[in-house]
Amino acid sequence: MRQPVPLAAALSLLLALGLVLAPGPGTAQAPRSGGVLVTSPLSATPSLSPHEESTIATVQQASPCFNNLVYYDPMKKVESVDTIIPELAEKWSWQDNYRNLVFFLRKDVKWHDGKPFTSQDVKYTFDMVRGAPDAKARLKVNPRKLWYEAVEAIEAPDAYTVVFRLKHPQPSLLLMLASGYSPVYPAHVPLAEFKNKCIGTGPFKLKDNKPGELVEYVRNPDYFVKGRPYLDGIKFVIIRDRSTQIAALQSGQLDVGGSGWNKTNAENAKNGAPKLTIVEADSNVNDNVLVNFKKAPFNDVRVRRAINLALDRKAYLIGPRQGAATFGGALLPRPAGMWGLPAAEVAKLPGMADPKQQKAEARKLLAEAGFTAANPLKMVVSTRALAIYVDTASWMVDQLEQVGVQATLEQIETGVWHPKMTRLEYQVALNLTGVGIDDPDAQLFENYHCGSQRNFSGYCSEEIDKLMAQQSQTLDRAKRLALVNEIDRKLQADGARPILGWGKQYYVHWPHVKNWAVHENSIYNVSRRQDVWLDK
Amino acid sequence: MRTYVAKRLAIAGVTLLGMSLLLFVLMRLAPGNITDIIFESAGYVDEADRHRLEAELGIDKPLVVQYGRWLGDLVRGELGKSYRYDLPAWEVIKPRLPVTLELAVLAMGFSVLLGVPFGVISAVRRGRPLDYALRVVSLAGLSMPAFWLAMVIILTLVRSVGWIPSMTYVSPFDDLRANLVQFLLPALAVGYRSSALIMRITRSTMLEVLREDYIRTAWAKGQREALVVWRHALKNASLPVVTLIGIEFAFLIGGLVVTETVFNLPGVARYLVDAIQFRDYPIVQNLAMLIAVVVVLANLAVDVLYTWLDPRIKYGSA
Amino acid sequence: MATIPAFDLAIPESLPAARSRRSALWHFVRKNPLGALGGVLMVALVVAALGADVLATHNPVRTSTHVLVPPGAEFWLGSDNLGRDLYSRIVHGSRISLAVGIASTLLGGVLGGLLGLLSGYVGGRTDLLLQRVMDVMQALPILVLALVLAAALGPSLTNTIFAISVVIVPRAARVVRASVLSIREFVYVESARALGVGHARVAFRHILPNTFGPFIVLVTAQLGGAILVEAALSFLGLGVPEPYPSWGRMLSIAAAEYAHKAPWLVIYPGLAISLAVFGTNLLGDALRDSLDPRLRGS
Repeated sequence: MRQPVPLAAALSLLLALGLVLAPGPGTAQAPRSGGVLVTSPLSATPSLSPHEESTIATVQQASPCFNNLVYYDPMKKVESVDTIIPELAEKWSWQDNYRNLVFFLRKDVKWHDGKPFTSQDVKYTFDMVRGAPDAKARLKVNPRKLWYEAVEAIEAPDAYTVVFRLKHPQPSLLLMLASGYSPVYPAHVPLAEFKNKCIGTGPFKLKDNKPGELVEYVRNPDYFVKGRPYLDGIKFVIIRDRSTQIAALQSGQLDVGGSGWNKTNAENAKNGAPKLTIVEADSNVNDNVLVNFKKAPFNDVRVRRAINLALDRKAYLIGPRQGAATFGGALLPRPAGMWGLPAAEVAKLPGMADPKQQKAEARKLLAEAGFTAANPLKMVVSTRALAIYVDTASWMVDQLEQVGVQATLEQIETGVWHPKMTRLEYQVALNLTGVGIDDPDAQLFENYHCGSQRNFSGYCSEEIDKLMAQQSQTLDRAKRLALVNEIDRKLQADGARPILGWGKQYYVHWPHVKNWAVHENSIYNVSRRQDVWLDK
Repeated sequence: MRTYVAKRLAIAGVTLLGMSLLLFVLMRLAPGNITDIIFESAGYVDEADRHRLEAELGIDKPLVVQYGRWLGDLVRGELGKSYRYDLPAWEVIKPRLPVTLELAVLAMGFSVLLGVPFGVISAVRRGRPLDYALRVVSLAGLSMPAFWLAMVIILTLVRSVGWIPSMTYVSPFDDLRANLVQFLLPALAVGYRSSALIMRITRSTMLEVLREDYIRTAWAKGQREALVVWRHALKNASLPVVTLIGIEFAFLIGGLVVTETVFNLPGVARYLVDAIQFRDYPIVQNLAMLIAVVVVLANLAVDVLYTWLDPRIKYGSA
Repeated sequence: MATIPAFDLAIPESLPAARSRRSALWHFVRKNPLGALGGVLMVALVVAALGADVLATHNPVRTSTHVLVPPGAEFWLGSDNLGRDLYSRIVHGSRISLAVGIASTLLGGVLGGLLGLLSGYVGGRTDLLLQRVMDVMQALPILVLALVLAAALGPSLTNTIFAISVVIVPRAARVVRASVLSIREFVYVESARALGVGHARVAFRHILPNTFGPFIVLVTAQLGGAILVEAALSFLGLGVPEPYPSWGRMLSIAAAEYAHKAPWLVIYPGLAISLAVFGTNLLGDALRDSLDPRLRGS
């Protein structure tokens, strides 16, 4: 009997099997279908209509239902024009030097109620959002109208082709259409229904909506991406109290938590349940200081600079931010963002250097402006009446007091905040800003353009407006970056809206949750969740 | 008797009317209205759009007109629409009622379960260490902020056992056991605090009753202490306790507000807080009126019960 | 003593001698150990409030980079997420709690007391009307009414005091009214009227002083309630705003964000509130027990 051969064969067979079965570093696990994912979003959403809201809560809880024309690849962490992938549009093409954008749509898409998706739906949606005079529907509130200002007309020459005709070139339009805030709505469903219901084309169908408590989705069996979604359903459970959220995650009632959490929350969660995984990333949400340009003495650049100098960014990092933030100018700095100022310049921004020196300089500037110990600057720092804002604002008040300013804190209730800001009824305010995409058109126009509705500081500079328009039409990326940086520098010098820091975002999940995408330069464009699967 | 009840009902009606006016005025006093809230979540304000929205919602009409309209709707049983969620108010409130009701009833149960025995024991062992100990424990419950107690409970649970009750509401009809487990701790937290009041009144009533002659006679006759206490004294002490349960209902609801928030129970009390924050007038007004109606009727029922049970008490005018 | 109500007394002509006062105090402590404990807690609260600047170790609003430090040598009760000393904040917070508590209780008590006096003395339609108004104010649970008021007026120190005092008014009115009703019929009041003494004088000089007893009991009892309501309002975001360190608000922020890592942020402010309210309740109970003859000996 020749035994060594069978033994060798057996061993080789085993070895071969081992190589095949053992997951090597390059081998990804094969996703499995099934399971319902339970998570706690940032807060309850006022409606399921992303076009009418500006809060991440809405995007989180409505994105599974919809699709865009194009979307950002969930698996690529830093969003840019290079990570845009098709969704409802199979192919697209810029024509005439970025003046016309043509989309060729998929032919196999159905709405959740069975009706077919056509170019009419696209035209309907974006005519509505851009406020076209002949739009078939009108949004009650329209926060992103100005994203589409350059659009002159939208044409649907046939059922599966859409053309956006622009007044002037705007390469950023494509990125705006890829944002979680730009889903396509069905033309045959009345707009009012989107408050509490959702008819989309997306990977999940709405199963149950208890406003303020729960939003539940079930898989869409007719989704046009075969094999997706992997999950049987998603459940968004609203838990208001942060420590209760953490406890719910630790005890396994949630698969994923962390929306709105800071570093300490994430660490606490993991301390109590070491198997949890923390995902940390930058985000395009920043804390900034609104200074009312229309109220004396804040129209004095020295006073503004003094305020900016007094706020020690390093202390901001440790206290209000618990050690997790990125410093930058008006746009998210690299490597997380695409358009920010280089690190060397960021390090020279007011508030970044030695605090003692900067506070002394602040005092000097205030004295020059006429404010001394005998005649201190008195001001009111306003902020929203929510715990995290109040904390940071309390910190601000303390920093200002250390340069001789007598500051008190005013808490403004949620409903009154934006009206007050819009009417410029404040002196200095602590604000949080998140813009849908990491793009200068969105960021700059919304926050710094003369007369923009979200330009709460009343800042207005013709020169900057001109530069903004110029960069919007600049096609060469390097040239555009240079322009954007120049604008950023000027904004910082003017103290247009001092940025305290760009926050980090956290997600904490159990290891069985796979493909929970997180992007570095936006929180708004990953919530489709069609690639998420549960390994259990 | 009937005239008495009728008179009390009339008075209750007037009270509720006054309440409605107070609520209406207060909500309108608050700066910002629902359109501000709607724009809030959109992140900007456009005055032209806002006026249009106000007209749509009917809140640009003069206040008197709005008040009249609201009262008219109420009388007809029309509770209007939630501004925030654009759903009929009743549809939003209805699923939340059983949650709060269950919590209130369970909490009430706990407060009686804890309060009455504590009160009795404390009265019987008056002056002894047990009396003081029970009074301290009971009063401690009354002194703790309800939300603090709730938070400490959750924190301790998670740190020691790694488990907390479900944060998603489980209906008793779906799974009774899970539902009771979910409600056990919050009901205990609220009930413990309320039990102090019951304990106090039980104790003082028992003390009075224990001094009565017929009790002394029973003692002297040698009847067993426990029998004496439970049969004679408790029966007579029960009347004020019943009264107190009615009055205490109002006190209980306050505790429910924060407890529902911390334990994440989707009840009306928590929803009221949300609605106030979001200036959802129809919800605030109707919910607050509902609570007021419940409180007023509870007081009325208790007073009627009291009169009926104890004819020695005469209720004259005012 | 049972037939004469507890408060039918003329203002004493002379103060008791010092020794008998001291022994009276000792007597009180012996008979009411719990009340004495309450008294001690209240005294501690007042001392903390008055001496906050001296007793605190740090500036309560000064932030630092030593965040979430556990209790130890530098931060006796630990530091919070902005690096502020918790002990100093709690000590200063006693000022707010006490100030809000006392101010709202006095305001509500005095206002309610006057209304109760009016209602009880004048009687008739005025009484009926005022009674209904009081009913309306009591139809809502305390916290709900305070919530609606605070939302209507906005979060500020004065608005919080106002909102809580509104809640106290009907309770004070009820107590004083009951007292007035029982005193009104007394012979000496009638004889004062017969002698031609004006209504106002009778009301204020003869009747009002006799309501002090129950009034004091009420005030002490409501003080604890006021502190709790302020804490609850602050927890819900509607109470006293920064920069005043308020115990209730310390709990709301700490609870939401850092409870797991820094439990001291939750434990100590809550303990402070509980002890303060506990003290007022004990003291109030003891006062009521000793001033109300029906319960004397209980």
